[in-house]
Amino acid sequence: MKKYVLHPWKLTSVYCLFLFLMMLCGGIQAQDDSSLAEVKPVPVLTGSTAYFTRVNGGKVQDAPTVSPLLLLPIGDHLLIESKAGLSDTFSKNAQGDYAGTVSYGMAYAQADYITKYATFTAGRFTTPFNIYGERLAPNWIRDLQGTPISVPITSGAALGGMVRGGLPLGTDKVHLNYATYFSTANTNHILATDRSTGGRIGFFLPGPRLEIGASFQQVLQQDRPHAVGTHFEWQPNAFPLTLRSEYTRSSGTRGSGYWVEAAYRLSQIPHMGATELVGRGQQFFAAANLAPAVAKKLGPLGVDTNEGDWGLNYYFGSDVRASASYGRQFALGRNANLWTIGMTYRFVMPMWPTGGGL
Amino acid sequence: MKLKSFSAALVMMVVVFALASAKTRDAKDDSAKPAATSQSTQHDQDLRLEGEKRFHSNCSRCHAAPPKFPPRMMGTIVRHMRVRAMLTDDDVRYILRYMTQ
Repeated sequence: MKKYVLHPWKLTSVYCLFLFLMMLCGGIQAQDDSSLAEVKPVPVLTGSTAYFTRVNGGKVQDAPTVSPLLLLPIGDHLLIESKAGLSDTFSKNAQGDYAGTVSYGMAYAQADYITKYATFTAGRFTTPFNIYGERLAPNWIRDLQGTPISVPITSGAALGGMVRGGLPLGTDKVHLNYATYFSTANTNHILATDRSTGGRIGFFLPGPRLEIGASFQQVLQQDRPHAVGTHFEWQPNAFPLTLRSEYTRSSGTRGSGYWVEAAYRLSQIPHMGATELVGRGQQFFAAANLAPAVAKKLGPLGVDTNEGDWGLNYYFGSDVRASASYGRQFALGRNANLWTIGMTYRFVMPMWPTGGGL
Repeated sequence: MKLKSFSAALVMMVVVFALASAKTRDAKDDSAKPAATSQSTQHDQDLRLEGEKRFHSNCSRCHAAPPKFPPRMMGTIVRHMRVRAMLTDDDVRYILRYMTQ
């Protein structure tokens, strides 16, 4: 039997051919894609700023943050988008002086080539796993400022390529959305990523405004753990309620967990339409038989935790929001009250003359 | 020799892709010719309602309604959200129309 050896240059050429065919398909499909050509978009700077005071088990911290997002459209099908984050977390030390830590990072910096049924992304991007990281993480969007404990179970950022998109499944009553990616390892302290692959698939029913989906991630380094996840989101048409939930389970040391969140906008009550009530319950289960040193290194992912949070959001128009929340965390040997109060502001500004209108 | 064949294949692919892109541009130029502009008020109203419905089905799932921006800004924002929220092509068309009128 003849053995075949796949040389690297052959593999590269096959990969190039595949990418080329996909781009060609996109180019031909674009003939009847007029939605992006109707309006000539301009570069836009958007993002959010926030200031929050947090009390975690009696320890008070203040944290101003700014997260600018630059959107640079090129032609009819390209979009360059880059989001950074800068925050300063400070608190009073034993001497009564304020001391803080400045942290910064690059959430994503990606180039998107958009066609009718697929978008091809290259660069650094948010890993498509469940819905929190991609859709709900910005502080002007999230209903409760605390990130669910189970979110960091999976690798949240990737450096490589991704194919994603949304399309109706034969009928407009069911939409399919999908994303699949491959990431290389990067050890830069700001841009660190794992070598991993995975994806997400979701089915969205626009009528009842219901989405269910599943995700998978396989890390291709160190002990090569994989993770599976499911998500659910529902906004009933009859009343202003949003229900969301995620479940994540890892085969490695990072355990498993879920959260369920409900947000109710009081728009049916006179003079209370700008107010939103939020509640979230979550459970996290640490991996079995963790060595003490490993559990310590994992931090919140190293100990079983139950947590309940309740919050109140008040919207000053569409861009400014005040938020307050209280939570009770039950962790082994470390129960704590969690208080949060602060404000978020979402900004949007053009970086080029818009030609007016509206 | 293998490298030359590979390079020749790549050049051919680029040429074919350029031709396909030119064809796309031609198709767009043809479509840009003056068309009948008289649209009924009822048709506009239907499009607006459909855009509003799709906005509430997709965008309002995650965030409050933003103010309406100039069309060229909204074109960028909707393109960004098409990628992030994995909107369908029809969703983008209706939502962009709704948010710019």
